[in-house]
Amino acid sequence: MNRFTRQIKSYGEQFVAVVRNEFRTIFTDEGALLVLVFALLIYATTYSLAYGSQVLRNVPIGVIDESRTNASRTLIETFNAGPNTYVAYDPTNMEEAKELFFQRKIYGIVYIPSDYERQLLGGSQANVALYADASYFLMYRQVFQEIVTTIGATGAMVEFRRLIARGADIPQAQATTQPVIYQSHNLFNPYLGYGSFVMPAIIMVIIQQTLLIGIGMIGGTWRELGLYGKLCPLGRRRMSTLPIVLGRATAYALIYAVTTTYILGLHYKLFHYPDNGTTGAVVLFMAAYLAACIALSLAVSTLFRYRENSLLLLLWTSIPVLMLSGVSFPREGMPDWLFDFGQLFPSSHGVNGLIRIRTMGASLGEVLPEIKTLLILTVVYGGLALIGTHVVIGRETREK
Amino acid sequence: MHGFLRNTGAVLRRETERISRQPMYLTLIFVLPLISFAFFALLFSKGVARDIPIAVFDADHSSLSRKVTQMIDDTPTALVAYEIQSMEEGERLMREGKIMAVVLIPEFFEKNILSNTQTHIENYVTGANITVNGLLSKDIQTAVTTFSGGIQIQLLTKRGLTERQAMAQLMPVRFNKHVLFNPYINYGYYLSPSFMPMMLMIFTVMATIFAIGVELKRSTAREWLATGGDSIVAALAGKLLPVTGALFLQAVAMLVIIFRVVGVPLNGSFAMVLAGTMLFVLSYQSISTMLVALMANLRLALSLGGGYSVLAFTFSGLTFPLMAMWEPMRWLSRLFPFTYCTDIYVDQMMRGAPVVYSLPDLGWMSLFVVLPLLALPRLKRICTEEKFWGRM
Repeated sequence: MNRFTRQIKSYGEQFVAVVRNEFRTIFTDEGALLVLVFALLIYATTYSLAYGSQVLRNVPIGVIDESRTNASRTLIETFNAGPNTYVAYDPTNMEEAKELFFQRKIYGIVYIPSDYERQLLGGSQANVALYADASYFLMYRQVFQEIVTTIGATGAMVEFRRLIARGADIPQAQATTQPVIYQSHNLFNPYLGYGSFVMPAIIMVIIQQTLLIGIGMIGGTWRELGLYGKLCPLGRRRMSTLPIVLGRATAYALIYAVTTTYILGLHYKLFHYPDNGTTGAVVLFMAAYLAACIALSLAVSTLFRYRENSLLLLLWTSIPVLMLSGVSFPREGMPDWLFDFGQLFPSSHGVNGLIRIRTMGASLGEVLPEIKTLLILTVVYGGLALIGTHVVIGRETREK
Repeated sequence: MHGFLRNTGAVLRRETERISRQPMYLTLIFVLPLISFAFFALLFSKGVARDIPIAVFDADHSSLSRKVTQMIDDTPTALVAYEIQSMEEGERLMREGKIMAVVLIPEFFEKNILSNTQTHIENYVTGANITVNGLLSKDIQTAVTTFSGGIQIQLLTKRGLTERQAMAQLMPVRFNKHVLFNPYINYGYYLSPSFMPMMLMIFTVMATIFAIGVELKRSTAREWLATGGDSIVAALAGKLLPVTGALFLQAVAMLVIIFRVVGVPLNGSFAMVLAGTMLFVLSYQSISTMLVALMANLRLALSLGGGYSVLAFTFSGLTFPLMAMWEPMRWLSRLFPFTYCTDIYVDQMMRGAPVVYSLPDLGWMSLFVVLPLLALPRLKRICTEEKFWGRM
């Protein structure tokens, strides 16, 4: 046997020993188990349940009707007809409406003035005022959209009748009332379900963060108790760094292969999240994503000196990292340099790619730029993990 | 009483010395909170999203179709980044993540308009991102409606109506829109008073659990209790006082950033905002103390406390309203002091609600300050019994 094959064989043995040791460490450490296995399942389920109803309907509004005529009552009925709002109260004045508003009983106020019908019948313009609350964005959107559409439709109807009365024929009147019909179609998530929108991003961020905190916890424990040396088989002074990093990475990859398969498979089905891409594309993409996350986590884990440090120092980053992926808050709204900084995290590419594959049905070719970046990140962070592990083991042997 | 103060003072001295020796304390109560507030202030420094790329498929190539395209491009949120030749091209660009919407202008668009025949414009917006969808749908609709209104006025004045008559004809019901409380629809105003307290909460929980839990982990709990003259209240007060003080300072820094840097309006009572924030910090400190007492394990208490704090955002109903959640989820939301705190923020910062409407929220938070203290006897026990120490 020449030197090269002997080296490979030794690497192989070390690799197997490292994988076995890593599994033993994880499954005998309830703290690590909680973070690395159960956190993903618990969070994904809790968030999905919270967003379970997916859409906001029937936002209560108040209508102040000073007109009290047939015309105004017809208008009010249309507010109830749509799915998004319903008239819950009819306060008599603005003061009363305000009070209901502060009590969080209504989220919008429509004011119909006393001359509403007169203006309408007299051929001039009738005014209606809408007070919508923008302190909750989703409420604002539902109320605003419904009222604007309703008032627009009512106005068009009146205009149409006036034109007919003046002797226009129906197609002519239609074309004058609405020369350009505008239709908006929501692709991929037709009812704009909140869970379908935000859960893919949350799931991807949880995967990265639990890996960072979990592997960091194990790394910190090993540093604290001087356990890196245990990786070293008897009779050897030191162990090669490459099989250590590869072996540890393999253990985490296997664990996450199981949990993410469940989440992206059964969990997705249970909560009816959009599921468009091919399985092959999802699997390959997730492989690249997990590789980048694990490499980053292994690199960062060598920095922690105590068991609790990863949790103390990294937990807060979950929300900033989610923001940097540009999902909840559009990337066009943040400074470019901050968005570019976010590209250092695998999650930014992972969130983007997964949404495009699963929600929008993109093919592997269409997410190739993301896969490439994830592979580059894997190589860079993998290199840092090798250096970090080498330094940590070196320091530990010196300290002994 | 005198003895109690002396004991608290003794613990306080011990604690300040520990804090100066342990860099982790300073990181948790000074450095990281400020970094996180700065992050959100920078993130929202633009406030609104502008120039989101979309594509236009102009099948008409006429001066009117070009005019609509221009009007869409002129809206604040939409940027016509691609002029495409087929819908397939639009779909591909969308799947590649390059555009967020495709606007289709059909053939004979101009011809139909000029011959007074109805025509149409289709907008295909991605639903994969609701935020982007909302912004684009609204702005593109406004652009098309404005364009359409212009055409109507021309048609009507051609028939001999005056401009005023035409306006009345075109919009028989005019509607005045008043956006209450966040008139600029600014994301920074809406999100920074929710994300920043979220950060404050995470560091409150982490620092408090760490301060107590590390005594158990390093087996110094009995010495800590002894310094407090074996009074768990004195020991806890002395230990948490510096942390609470630092966190109060952070809370003030946070409010300064929210009002002065991000520029969030303050329409209600600042005193109420401040009182709410202080109670918010205290309630999470109290809950954290209970968690350590129950778990008797630093790391496990941190995991649970961390999990509990991260969940709070969803259950505050700021993004996805509580009203839309299933009933049991709405009950769950009552278990997070964060929900009450953000309610106070919305009421006092945005809405300028009278102070009475925020009093119930203060009451609920006070409950979360007092109730967890029932775990104090257990905390005393685990500080005296060695079997609870040194757990990893």
